[in-house]
Amino acid sequence: MKCTRCLLRLLGQSAYAAARPTRPSSLRSPQHDQAVRCFRGNKGSPVTAEFIGEDRTKMPVATRDPFTAEHKTKASFVEALQAFAKADVRRRGHVEFIYAALKKMPEFGVERDLAVYNQLLDVFPKEVFVPRNFIQRMFNHYPRQQECAVQLLEQMENYGVMPNVETKVLLVQIFGAKGHPMRKYQRIMYWFPKFKHANPFPIPHQLPEDPVDLARFSLKRIANDLDAKVTIYQMPCTDATESGHQISLPHIVGIQSPDQMELLGKHDPSRPVFVEGPFPLWLRKTCVHYYVLRAEPVPPGDKVEESFDPERCFYYPLQLDLDFDRDFGDLETFDVEDLDEGPVFAMCMTSQGDQATLNQWISGLQESNPILGQIPTVFRLQAGTRELRAETSREESPREESAAPEGPEVTEEARRHSN
Amino acid sequence: MSSILRFPSMRLLGCLHPQHHQHLLHPVLSRSVTQSEYRRPGKPREDKPPWQKINFSFSKGLDGIRKHLTLLKKEFLERWVGPQGKPILEHMLEQNRVVWEFRGPESLEQWTVSSDFEIGGQSEAYLKLGRNNTTCFLYGTLRSTPPKDGETRYSGYCSMRSKQPLASFDRKQHHDWTSFNTLHLRVRGDGRPWMINIAAETYFSHQKDDIYSYFLYTRGGPYWQEVKIPFSKFFLAHRGRVQDDQHPLWLDKINTIGFTLGDKADGPFQLEIDYIGVIKDYAHTEEFAYELYKRNPEV
Repeated sequence: MKCTRCLLRLLGQSAYAAARPTRPSSLRSPQHDQAVRCFRGNKGSPVTAEFIGEDRTKMPVATRDPFTAEHKTKASFVEALQAFAKADVRRRGHVEFIYAALKKMPEFGVERDLAVYNQLLDVFPKEVFVPRNFIQRMFNHYPRQQECAVQLLEQMENYGVMPNVETKVLLVQIFGAKGHPMRKYQRIMYWFPKFKHANPFPIPHQLPEDPVDLARFSLKRIANDLDAKVTIYQMPCTDATESGHQISLPHIVGIQSPDQMELLGKHDPSRPVFVEGPFPLWLRKTCVHYYVLRAEPVPPGDKVEESFDPERCFYYPLQLDLDFDRDFGDLETFDVEDLDEGPVFAMCMTSQGDQATLNQWISGLQESNPILGQIPTVFRLQAGTRELRAETSREESPREESAAPEGPEVTEEARRHSN
Repeated sequence: MSSILRFPSMRLLGCLHPQHHQHLLHPVLSRSVTQSEYRRPGKPREDKPPWQKINFSFSKGLDGIRKHLTLLKKEFLERWVGPQGKPILEHMLEQNRVVWEFRGPESLEQWTVSSDFEIGGQSEAYLKLGRNNTTCFLYGTLRSTPPKDGETRYSGYCSMRSKQPLASFDRKQHHDWTSFNTLHLRVRGDGRPWMINIAAETYFSHQKDDIYSYFLYTRGGPYWQEVKIPFSKFFLAHRGRVQDDQHPLWLDKINTIGFTLGDKADGPFQLEIDYIGVIKDYAHTEEFAYELYKRNPEV
């Protein structure tokens, strides 16, 4: 708080000197201006009619849009702001200018830049809009300017830009401590820190550019297991064939955890496994797709109850056969039937989701899971991004043959490898 | 005093805090006093007389009578068993309750899906049952181009909201979750951040759009995600604007729960929900996660 007051005092002197004589906006009628001046008491030179007329002739007429530039960069945007500020010490038309600037910010790529927002806030003339007594504070002093500043802060809020102490100092200088913009700033400063780390699966703002790194990051995210290992089966490269054509090979990145390997090892070779995809995964604004190797759930009749091997863990028993006398207060699970969707054995991401590429993935997986050689693999690939789980194979097989060309392309191929 | 002079059309009721309409600096004189019908921007005012809006049909009437009389009979008989049809011990000691589970087509009847298509946007949202008729699948596309009606500035949202539970003869009924303190969901999303909105029963008509919200962050991927959100984390918002005067959600009369998506990322989305339940978590002792309101905070 002390630093704010010191800064205020230091800047206040220079800003006040720069802001006199004060004329808020060119939109106001001369009578209103005169009324305002009388209300404030005459500070500075007495105002006469000639002075107003003189000002009118000297008013700069905006003939071109200040935000047209060949290269839309932060530098050109800031240049436009500074040109406006330098042109007129009274900053006539600053409200419309700031609204236009807010609209143009995404084009210049500065919508997440706090320094640019502070410079935009600097366009407001200082100390003119600060209410000086209780009547002005009551009556929403300079409502258009307050609304403009609130819209500026709201755009900052929309893009997730956290304001800093410079914003606060500017707002206090321009609107005083109790106006709407300051309240909006206080609300942003209250709620933003509360929700900044609310995401239990955080995504960095700067995602990796390299598709292999992006695939690695997203696969680790969906694997839900810290022991899962990422394997790169093929790096992206361009090859030249004999006829001279350039073919680009896509990257294939796969992930498998030890639990999934164990499940695959226990899978019955007579039942097929399915390669399904592509499923969407959103990381902030980018959507990537992944493919899944899974099996259908075992029907309840064929399920084999596996007993825990007591020698697996000597520290504590893995299975307790105690009969607790539990009543309603101790029930910790929901009374819902468990969804059995079948185990997932591995996931992969590749830029080109056709059968040949996924075949390569399966062959790569086979090196660590030799049982894949004996299991028939069925490919259920869909042209567009569709639901996470296809309908059960029994319902789908009669429909597959009659599938329309625009519908999902479901290609089926049973692949059997003999070792 | 200052608030009344600043907004001459505002009601003088004490419950309406002047900071409710922080974004409105000019008074809206054409709004009705009781603020009953929210006119969506861009929607024309309907001028149909009330008798033309009802659809008369004999078979529908008979079905309706049968349904309401069955519900009435159930209501009379269930109070002999205990509160809300459950024995008193079960009601008091219950630790988990499944409120919504999606196990058949009739479970989808309890939900309403909406998107910004209603205000003129281009997003789409659909609801269907997932695999084996066991989970609900909300999918569609988001498009954040605002509709060209001159007043809407932001767009691109979709939502799924539960219908208000109704007793016999369409009387409003509420969920009573006083013995619980955590919301438990089993969902499978695609990595997008959703928002959970709980609407409780209010007294004043101005509080009609008061919604308690919190975020639902999905991980994405083929594995199901269990989300536990304590009710103390829900913050109060009115028509999307987070309020200054926060208070904890009262669990005795809950009307609806909803999920909404509006993360400004254009493209397809999907969310699968297995069940929604409430838990009494003995380890959770927080009463409210946000500080109570200070009227005039110093700068």
